[in-house]
Amino acid sequence: MTRVLASQVPVLIVLLVLGTVAKISVVRSGREPGALARLGPAVLMPGRLQRPSLLVCAAGELVLAVGLLVSAHPLFRWGTVAFFALSTYVLLELRRRRPDAGCGCFGEVSSAPVGLRSIGRTVVLTGMALMAVWAGAPGWMAFAHPAWGFTLAGVAVLAALSPEIDELVDRARHRAPCEQRRGPQEGVSLARLKSSGPWRAHEADLASAEPYDSWRELCWRFFAFQNHERDDVVFAVYLAGRRPAVRVAVVSAESLPEYTTVSA
Amino acid sequence: MGYPSVERRRVLAAAALGREAAAPGPGPEGGDPLHAVTGEILDVSPHLIAIETPDGRQERLVIAPWATAWHGGDVAPADLPVHATVLMRALRDGKVVERIWADTVRLTGTIVSVEGRKDVTVELDCGPHRGHRTIVIPYRATGRLRVRHPQFEPGFLFDAIGIRKDGATLALLPATSQPAYPARAVPPPPPSYAGAQSRISGTVTWSDVFDAQERGAAYPMVERSDAGCPDAGVSCAALPYLAIGSLLQVQNVCANRSAVVPIVACGCVAGRFCDRCVECGTSPRGRIAELSPASYVELGGDLVNGCFNAQIGLG
Repeated sequence: MTRVLASQVPVLIVLLVLGTVAKISVVRSGREPGALARLGPAVLMPGRLQRPSLLVCAAGELVLAVGLLVSAHPLFRWGTVAFFALSTYVLLELRRRRPDAGCGCFGEVSSAPVGLRSIGRTVVLTGMALMAVWAGAPGWMAFAHPAWGFTLAGVAVLAALSPEIDELVDRARHRAPCEQRRGPQEGVSLARLKSSGPWRAHEADLASAEPYDSWRELCWRFFAFQNHERDDVVFAVYLAGRRPAVRVAVVSAESLPEYTTVSA
Repeated sequence: MGYPSVERRRVLAAAALGREAAAPGPGPEGGDPLHAVTGEILDVSPHLIAIETPDGRQERLVIAPWATAWHGGDVAPADLPVHATVLMRALRDGKVVERIWADTVRLTGTIVSVEGRKDVTVELDCGPHRGHRTIVIPYRATGRLRVRHPQFEPGFLFDAIGIRKDGATLALLPATSQPAYPARAVPPPPPSYAGAQSRISGTVTWSDVFDAQERGAAYPMVERSDAGCPDAGVSCAALPYLAIGSLLQVQNVCANRSAVVPIVACGCVAGRFCDRCVECGTSPRGRIAELSPASYVELGGDLVNGCFNAQIGLG
């Protein structure tokens, strides 16, 4: 039983180290505010704190990884649980407040908007960290006597939940990033919008089923409609993927943005 | 419904994606902000210039002792002709003039026809929004222009700076070295995939087809269907797609000034130039934006040089 519980510890350690390396490389690459890519929970921080917050996060991950590797102290085990639980909350908050930002979990590879997969991944990681609490042995023991079946199962679940894998495949095929590719036709994006959940939630309020304005910016196509109160309803459709992320906001005619709940 | 204002697009996009809507304006660096003042000269003396602005106001500005003027060549400010249209770079809240460009025009486009032996008449296609333009190259300027435009025949690109004189448009100075390919054969951008790029470097030029006091930019990489521009979406710099109405943060690397300017037009001609700017060092290839004269001057550019090395980011 202990082996089963300990089987995910190597996965956690490797992921934490990868996260540290990726975040530090983002900071080292000299990304500045006003940059084209908006990345990670750091966008929730004020400008001058963005770099330090990424570094603090990276340092925290490294401490947890080393702690998990060399000791079985409950401090590190529960610390990891807390870290991933907190990440889940931060991602939910990021998705609510800055739906265009990527999770930044693995640096710039994670620049796609936060979706259910990224959030599901942190939930699974929280579960794995909870299993590790009762594993009882330091991480190097798990590396020395791996329970291959369970470890690989954990890796497979995480891979399925990682949007970064798709991105890495695209990079390996030398495709231009989404914001430089010619997007799908306006009609195709409109059809994708009309098969989405946010559309069904707002369809009844719209005065017309045809947008009065549509434009593309970076990787998003926007469609502006008017509802029966003559407020603007604007939908943003992500241009990559068959079932793209869709965001919606209702903006009153006095142009004060009024936020509605976001769903994809 | 009518064509919506570009500010509305910014507000709507910011609301949908939960960003703060940014506002156009100069950036913090660069010290004393520069002001571009446009008008028609009513009277000029060595120390004072009186102009009438396009909205009908009369203004008197002090000419700084170190000020210079350009009217087809370097001249003393006091020698500028009355009724010339001037664009001035001014300091101290736009009251002290230090550089004056009179009747300056920028002639950018594809050569349609070349006629004449001594004074050469050239017809340029300046893109679907700007139409055709007929220009004259006076005999004294042909050598200088031809040496930078070796392919002087229809289908190739042309870019020069000149003046408006007696109703004719004269090309006097080459604004760039002519790209060696025909206008229809723009080389593709380098196949670089370095992930999401934070800033893009290249050359920023100006164009005289904007309104007199307009602050804005023409940007090559807009979707053809959105901008109603069949030639858009071509560039040899790896530019991201943006929309008319998006904000662009432009930084003049040479003068260390930056500003946030709205995209107000499709820069389909600018996108066909795969040239470099050598204003300070050598820029990477590709025109990344074409600014209105006022924005260009306020970023510290000199109209006669024709370009500055720049970096852009999303505003």
